[in-house]
Amino acid sequence: MLPGRSAANIVAMASVADRRLDLDLFRRSSDRVLAGVAGGLADRLGVPTGYVRAAFVVATALWGLGAVFYVALWMATFERVEDRSPTSVEPQQAIGLGVIFLGGVFAFRGLGWWPGDRVVLITGTLAFGVAVLSDFDWVSRLFDPTGARPSKLRVGAGAILLLSGLGVFGRSISQIQTLGSAAIAVIITVLGIGLVFGPWLVGMGRALGSERRERIRQEERAEMAAHLHDSVLQTLALMQRTDDPKRMVTLARQQERELRSWLYGDRASRSEERLAAALETVAARIEGDFSIPVELVTVGDTAIDEVALSLVSAASEAIVNAAKHSQAAEVSVYAEVADGRADVWVADRGVGFDQTSIPDDRRGLRDSIVARLGRVGGGAAVDSTPGDGTEIHLWAPATALDVRSQP
Amino acid sequence: MIRLFVVDDHALFLSGVKAELAAMAERFDIVGTAADVDDAITSIRETMPEVVLLDVHMPGGGGLAVIQNVTETHPDIRFLALSVSDAAEDVIAMIRAGARGYVTKSISSEDLADAIERVKAGDAVFSPRLAGFVLDAFAHGLPEAADPELDQLTAREKEVLRLIARGYPYKQVARRLSISVKTVETHVSSVLRKLQLSSRYELTRWASDRRMI
Repeated sequence: MLPGRSAANIVAMASVADRRLDLDLFRRSSDRVLAGVAGGLADRLGVPTGYVRAAFVVATALWGLGAVFYVALWMATFERVEDRSPTSVEPQQAIGLGVIFLGGVFAFRGLGWWPGDRVVLITGTLAFGVAVLSDFDWVSRLFDPTGARPSKLRVGAGAILLLSGLGVFGRSISQIQTLGSAAIAVIITVLGIGLVFGPWLVGMGRALGSERRERIRQEERAEMAAHLHDSVLQTLALMQRTDDPKRMVTLARQQERELRSWLYGDRASRSEERLAAALETVAARIEGDFSIPVELVTVGDTAIDEVALSLVSAASEAIVNAAKHSQAAEVSVYAEVADGRADVWVADRGVGFDQTSIPDDRRGLRDSIVARLGRVGGGAAVDSTPGDGTEIHLWAPATALDVRSQP
Repeated sequence: MIRLFVVDDHALFLSGVKAELAAMAERFDIVGTAADVDDAITSIRETMPEVVLLDVHMPGGGGLAVIQNVTETHPDIRFLALSVSDAAEDVIAMIRAGARGYVTKSISSEDLADAIERVKAGDAVFSPRLAGFVLDAFAHGLPEAADPELDQLTAREKEVLRLIARGYPYKQVARRLSISVKTVETHVSSVLRKLQLSSRYELTRWASDRRMI
């Protein structure tokens, strides 16, 4: 069903095209005044173009017949594509169109279909004004402020046509209704100015806005490029010069951490005045020194004071111990500030140890962790089973900060 | 054997994950992969996988768009978000859209396989960081919470999340709390449900506040 119908369509289309071709009449695309109809006809009939053009003009004077005939031929013929010239014939075409329009107008007048001279004059002038101004293309310029600007000549002509049309219109109204003609004149003038300059002003405003946006975007891009260059590219270069896979992983981890804090980090807490940020720094340092991943998760935050500083130092010691002795693949650190205290858990899934077997001269745990936290009112607890990992729990009094209320 | 679909716009990462999971062929059957949002939505509907491993950041709406579109027609397909981003905003958004878990791309392939199986079984998967996020988000419990049942965590749930945040796998969490692994999974699933259903817009606000670029 469908294929048959489309085939019929194709046949119908072909026959229309054939009929057009049968005329062997083409519109000229060079040396033309209007659409090339007269030129094409002259080529077909073999007479000088001037005669044909003159015949059209004369026929137009006779009740506009020439214009009607011209438009009919225009619609019935193709333009000869192969010799299309790029030269502009716009002004001539405009004049020709005007002549055709006038011819049409006279034709209608001769036929008796005529609402009155004044109405035609007003609507005609307004239509021309709008037509010329529509080249302004302001609708599309609203969406694309970078579009081409219209020529001053065109804007001026459009404005004059519009104003004069509106002027005649306004006068006829004021004669009828005896309104204050001055007020109407002012309104009409403002309307005209708005029509002419409004779109241009809007377009300019938008162009300025988009320029500003573009500039901001470029600045951001430059800042990001600079950062990536200083960090990621440098690290990648460094990694290419390394043979040690462990060192490579460490470099990658360090870079990842740095990039993450740059991308997602919250700036308020990145300052070293906060517990979470201080722990982050410690974790990053140990990760670099001992080539072992340190996973840090923090919940809540507190300001760094003497107590919190002790907690950070103790945590640092505990993480270092885990990194040095546990033989685990990674160290997990979880810090939480809530209910008037700060807790830090440092856990690994490494070899673990027997607490009673620690020799007395290895005092790291006892001195730097337990004693230090004891002095500030906190404490530490160790939970370790040989072969099943170690967890050190550290705590100290702290006042939770409401992270959200900070600038 | 789990019917698995992988969505990632990074070709290298996609082929890497595929290779790792293909090595465990007796556990996973990768029924398809997609590299962009539209392709993912149509292919998932065609292949009907049980679990979708979903990247978060993709042009054209990201993983969020995939979850929202697919769950509309196929609410039984489960999603596990997998991303390099551990920004709170992304994590919370994915979970609230319906993902059953969120793991970062640095996860080991064995842990990833476990996570997929857990999601398939209907449980939730919380990485330490996600557990931290959830604790943090629910920590500022608001007195005027509309539905206390959904807007607060129980003490037990907090304990479980804390242990996960401390880096313990589910088995050890269960041992430490002297409960079964199944109970741990129940707690985590109920936290996930609260996260998805909670009326607190503060969750989202909290997450977006965390992202101050």
